[in-house]
Amino acid sequence: MNEDSPVQILKSNVWYSNPIFIQILGICSTLAVTNNLSNTFTMTVGLMFVAAFTNITVSLLKGIIPRKVRMILQTLIIAFYVIIVDILLRAYLPEISKALGPYVGLIITNCIIMGRAEAFAQSHGPLISAWDGITSGLGYMWVLMLIAFVRELMGFGTLFGIAVLPAGFTPWTIMVMAPSAFFLLGTFIWVAKTIILKQEASSMQPKPGRKQASCSAMQPKGGK
Amino acid sequence: MKKNGLIYTVLISVVSAFLFVFLLSLAYGATKGKVEENTRLTEARAYLVASGITVDGDTDIEALFKSTFPGFDKDAAYQTTTVNGKSVVVSPFQGNGLWGTITGVIGMTSDLQRIVGFEIVSHVETPGLGGRIDEVWFKDQFKDEYAANGIVVKHGGGGGDKDPDNGVVDGITGASRTSDSIQTIVNQQIDKIKKELGGTNQ
Repeated sequence: MNEDSPVQILKSNVWYSNPIFIQILGICSTLAVTNNLSNTFTMTVGLMFVAAFTNITVSLLKGIIPRKVRMILQTLIIAFYVIIVDILLRAYLPEISKALGPYVGLIITNCIIMGRAEAFAQSHGPLISAWDGITSGLGYMWVLMLIAFVRELMGFGTLFGIAVLPAGFTPWTIMVMAPSAFFLLGTFIWVAKTIILKQEASSMQPKPGRKQASCSAMQPKGGK
Repeated sequence: MKKNGLIYTVLISVVSAFLFVFLLSLAYGATKGKVEENTRLTEARAYLVASGITVDGDTDIEALFKSTFPGFDKDAAYQTTTVNGKSVVVSPFQGNGLWGTITGVIGMTSDLQRIVGFEIVSHVETPGLGGRIDEVWFKDQFKDEYAANGIVVKHGGGGGDKDPDNGVVDGITGASRTSDSIQTIVNQQIDKIKKELGGTNQ
């Protein structure tokens, strides 16, 4: 099976090598923004945009960038797109820009983007790299949205700011704070891993997930 | 030129840094007017809200602002206006939050007994935690709150404070530091308005 076919990339980034629950990348934003669905959504869309365009640019420039300075230039490219997103939000969507505050800038330090630029875009063409960026963003988005769903529902009794639970409901304060994201993410990894292991055991075929060594080099920079 | 040589490496780094920053400044220049316009509108809106005027999506903020504050002076410490027959003192504030400067506008009755309105213009507090100072429920607590002796932003308990006569508003769960900052900023501002108006410190 071709590892780099668009469908394989989609499956891999959304499930088998999901950036959040398999590669455990970009955790600081997982802990911080996920107590509110609207913020989570904008943040993940921003990440998807930056990941896709960074991948395209890195892929286009890979031929002329010397190996020695490739990482610092990747950071430059990521910072460039993040500031572009920030400028666009400020000019055309001031409300969202206000709500997200410093988090737009923090996309720069999200390991998923640099991880994909280094692991994928450095060795692939621009179109397929863009797809890789978008699907990585999707993999990030659905996990964060799920966590945000539980946190906002239990923490505030609302979904996207609209009250859904009865007024008598006592909000779970812990769900608003960062530690709850740890508990939820841990539970999520447990469930996801169990499903993946079951799938592997029942199919007894080599799993289609891609090599993960590529990302281990990026891992120590998780903190915010 | 050797691709891994020093000269090529430096050249590429400088050229790409220049190129990307150049594009950024282009984008910044192109949207500058729009951003300034947004900032101005946000401020005008904040002044209106602080004077106790209800502003929604259809309000012509610009026109309403001009009619409410005909002699608006950007650098003045406070503005006075009359809303629904009551005279109001409106004053812009700024102070330190947890991560950066919080700016906004606060309005008080002219006898400085009660807060009329409270609006945040800008802040860089943590979204979802301290950033919730910009949510409507938080700002609405200040409306009509008795504040002749300043206010207290309450921590803990969980019961909530609905009494507008005790000068106590609810803090934000998970953001005690930002809540403290708001308390300090608002109290300092109230003192400042008192001094500016030359009133006695009651």
